[in-house]
Amino acid sequence: MDISKYIELVFTDYTLRTITLGTAILGAITGMLGSFAVLRKQSLLGDAISHAALPGIAIAFLITGAKDTNTLLIGALVSGLIGTFWIKNIVTKTHLKSDTALGLILSVFFGFGMLLLTFIQKQPNANQAGLDKYLFGQAATLVESDVWMMAIVTGICLMVMLTFWKEFKILLFDADYTKTLGFNTKTIDILITVFIVLAIVLGLQTVGVVLMSAMLLAPAAAARQWTNSLAKMVFLAAVFGAFSGVFGTAISASQNNLSTGPVIVLVASVFVGFSFIFSPSRGLLFKQIRVIKNRRDLELHKTLAFMYHIAETHENTSHPHKIKLLNNFHGYTKSTLQKLVDKNYVKINGSMWSLTETGFETAANLYTKQETEDE
Amino acid sequence: MRNESKEDIKPSTASERVFAVKVDDLTVAYNYKPVLWDIDLEIPEGVLMAIVGPNGAGKSTLIKSILGILKPIAGSVTIYGKPYEKQRRLVAYVPQKGSVDWDFPTTALDVVMMGTYGSLGWIKRPGQKEKKASLEALEKVGMLPFKNRQISQLSGGQQQRIFLARALVQNASIYFMDEPFQGVDATTEIAIINILKELRRAGKTVIVVHHDLQTVPEYFDWVTFLNVKKIATGPVKDIFNDDNLTKTYGINYQVSIQE
Amino acid sequence: MNSAQLEIQIIASLVAIACAIPGTFLVLRKMAMISDAISHAILPGIVIGFFITQDLNSPVLILLAALTGIITVVLVEYIQKTGLVKEDTAIGLVFPALFSIGVIMIAKNANDVHLDVDAVLLGELAFAPFDRLLIGGTDVGPKSLWVVGSILLITITLLILFFKELKVSTFDKGLTASLGFSPAVIHYGLMSVSSVTTVGAFDAVGAILVVALMIAPAASAYLLTTDLKKMLILAISFGVFSAIFGYWVAHCLDASIAGSITTILGVVFLLVYLFAPSKGIIAVMYREKQQRTEVSLLTFLLHLKNHDEVEERHVNHLYEHINWQKVRAKSVLDLAQKNNMIHMDNQVVSLTKKGDEFTSKAINYIITNEDAQIEDMKDDFFLFRG
Repeated sequence: MDISKYIELVFTDYTLRTITLGTAILGAITGMLGSFAVLRKQSLLGDAISHAALPGIAIAFLITGAKDTNTLLIGALVSGLIGTFWIKNIVTKTHLKSDTALGLILSVFFGFGMLLLTFIQKQPNANQAGLDKYLFGQAATLVESDVWMMAIVTGICLMVMLTFWKEFKILLFDADYTKTLGFNTKTIDILITVFIVLAIVLGLQTVGVVLMSAMLLAPAAAARQWTNSLAKMVFLAAVFGAFSGVFGTAISASQNNLSTGPVIVLVASVFVGFSFIFSPSRGLLFKQIRVIKNRRDLELHKTLAFMYHIAETHENTSHPHKIKLLNNFHGYTKSTLQKLVDKNYVKINGSMWSLTETGFETAANLYTKQETEDE
Repeated sequence: MRNESKEDIKPSTASERVFAVKVDDLTVAYNYKPVLWDIDLEIPEGVLMAIVGPNGAGKSTLIKSILGILKPIAGSVTIYGKPYEKQRRLVAYVPQKGSVDWDFPTTALDVVMMGTYGSLGWIKRPGQKEKKASLEALEKVGMLPFKNRQISQLSGGQQQRIFLARALVQNASIYFMDEPFQGVDATTEIAIINILKELRRAGKTVIVVHHDLQTVPEYFDWVTFLNVKKIATGPVKDIFNDDNLTKTYGINYQVSIQE
Repeated sequence: MNSAQLEIQIIASLVAIACAIPGTFLVLRKMAMISDAISHAILPGIVIGFFITQDLNSPVLILLAALTGIITVVLVEYIQKTGLVKEDTAIGLVFPALFSIGVIMIAKNANDVHLDVDAVLLGELAFAPFDRLLIGGTDVGPKSLWVVGSILLITITLLILFFKELKVSTFDKGLTASLGFSPAVIHYGLMSVSSVTTVGAFDAVGAILVVALMIAPAASAYLLTTDLKKMLILAISFGVFSAIFGYWVAHCLDASIAGSITTILGVVFLLVYLFAPSKGIIAVMYREKQQRTEVSLLTFLLHLKNHDEVEERHVNHLYEHINWQKVRAKSVLDLAQKNNMIHMDNQVVSLTKKGDEFTSKAINYIITNEDAQIEDMKDDFFLFRG
């Protein structure tokens, strides 16, 4: 199936429309909440939570024998929350650091989950369980009720976020200060954490436990590069997330035996790479260009400052001096001199140069500016 | 509640007068490590006070426990005779500059506006009134031209001024500041101290955790020496002497800094 | 127990040891999540290596995959240096991307690559004995035994040779540089060993479970000791124990061996976490409770010493100003009385001679920052504890 045919199908085919809508909503909510996770420096917590959710899915299946998504996801939610709680407890009560606690819970819960999964596979009713899809995600298994579920959770989440926007923002920036203003920071904190866990659990079916954390981080990390406003960042992250979801699903659906998770993550990673390089204000490309330009400006300014010192000694600041004098100066080249002439800072007459009035003023300003900056 | 019985007695004599901040028997400990022991402190209204002491003396801890950021194991704090929780609106706080992530996606004006959140309470959004107040505060600290700058693009001194503006906008009676001169340029230091002096002239009380002993006599009129215990507190001209400095900083404190 | 079972247990134990050694250092250097990143990110390296060599146990493949691991570390550090995102975000961005590439490469070439995604996550320890190494026609044992064995040998040799350097650089980075060996060399050395070990162990236990074998034994050991040598020995013991015990649990349940080993690792950690003598959660909570009482007692005594005025020492004032609940104030009062630190006279409390002496000493220690001494002092003075 090629892409154009796929796009046509999205509008005509019911199943495809459901899946596309589902991944778009999922991308939006994870991007949105991921912004909070990234700004709270809890990037890797998502990774731990999603892995920790696996045994919950398996246990929910073992207990109820149901393959109903919502039941399994409640199991995931419970074990994800237990994992989160345990991580916090390890960090506060022992001298183990957060990275150890994260890695430990992540791998141990996942290992336990795999033990249960392989155990379930040996059971007689295992074939219908389809629990494998929770490893790397299978968007194709999304049905309308799943999408409704996502939409409702996203709606609630959006409402809460808009209501408590001010509180979220100030807590993310400066928690201690928030406390002194009389806000109950614990409540806000729990609210944010619960929503992040919810978003992760929602994504397990589509993206899978192994790669879910990237869905939280990548859109947010990309969005951060394009704006300096929290509101715009959250919005952009939601857009990037939604696009990653839709593109990823489209690509994986048009290929054979490709799980959606890895493809969505790869699309999101492309967004990140592009943003890192090409963002106008923070991107590496423009930063490099600015560095080069600054270095050139600096050389020019240094030469001008040097000329200024010579010109200063003379009563008439536009008095001509020999070009030879400049040869003692380290940063001087013929091209810098030519540039200064182009800028109308300097006049050249044969082997003599003189500062113009604008040149003298600019140099004088530079000099005082430099002095205040040095302080 | 316990303090309400006290309140019924009108402050008549000088010893009964109501202090801007009164700390009683405050004790704070992190696990084994005792940080503050049995601190009694009375700060009269309208002073510009420095808290000085060596590293690890508990200066920031004192401020944070007064403000309820840290939970003390014993003691009580009253602001103008009432428990701190009831008087929050009267208090503004300028945390250490390094305590926040300056790469946070927000502008200078936005940060200053956060100072209005306390009086707004839950859910309500800041409006025109709050914005106007924030712009005025920015103007006061000389940062109006930078109002739309992303905060990471400001110098250390400018960031500190933004923090000060955020506290100013709270329009409080008592200001607590944690090392506001840390890592700022000389111009900013002068600008900040001028604003603090102006606050004092307006009858506000300003409490500053301070590092640079040289500038204490010049900047402040009141001082508290702290090293786990309170060593001394009072007017700079009376108690800022070698004796107290030695008691605070240790036996071998040699530098005489009084002119 | 047949020979295949024995071989599996030996391989699992060797993997556990090979992981525990670098794992201990990663935990101590607060870099545990780097092992998670490496274990995921080597996947594309393994797949490419497999295209070239067609043999999962080939040394070329191991080196190639390990190189991917080091590239990951470099990439993460580069992104961190740009300051575009916070440090841990860099880790969280790099490894899912590389892992995804690996998974897609496997899926796209499913017919040519005898790797499947389950094996990537879980390994195939159960099949390890069937892939034999033949030298000159003689069967010298399973290939993976040789691979893991060689990696372990290299790791142990490096550990013995550079033990001092590793120790110093782990506990004091500044000192390392001043002693004349570069912290960067040690850092990348450790990263290389971790990468090679991960690749070697990957075949047996899979991507994510390598992380468990690296972190869990070291974390458990760290709760029991802070001595580096003891920690290494404990981590290795926990690893080997879990490997063997885990194998038998898997055998009984007929489930994944790797999953079972990890689960046992988790149980070991849970037990240590709960019951470790001084750092276990129960001990910590008990101590915190005791400390609370002791600190309260000290506070109370100090208050008495600081104040001569009768009204400051009146029982009612203690409730009021110290801001304690009545019950707590009462228990502290009782404790102080039981220890003969105070006597009460008409509701006014004052220090006894013993109480006064104790308090003076305590103040002295606190101010001179010798808190540790207070512990000894408590033993000298205390008759009853709370």
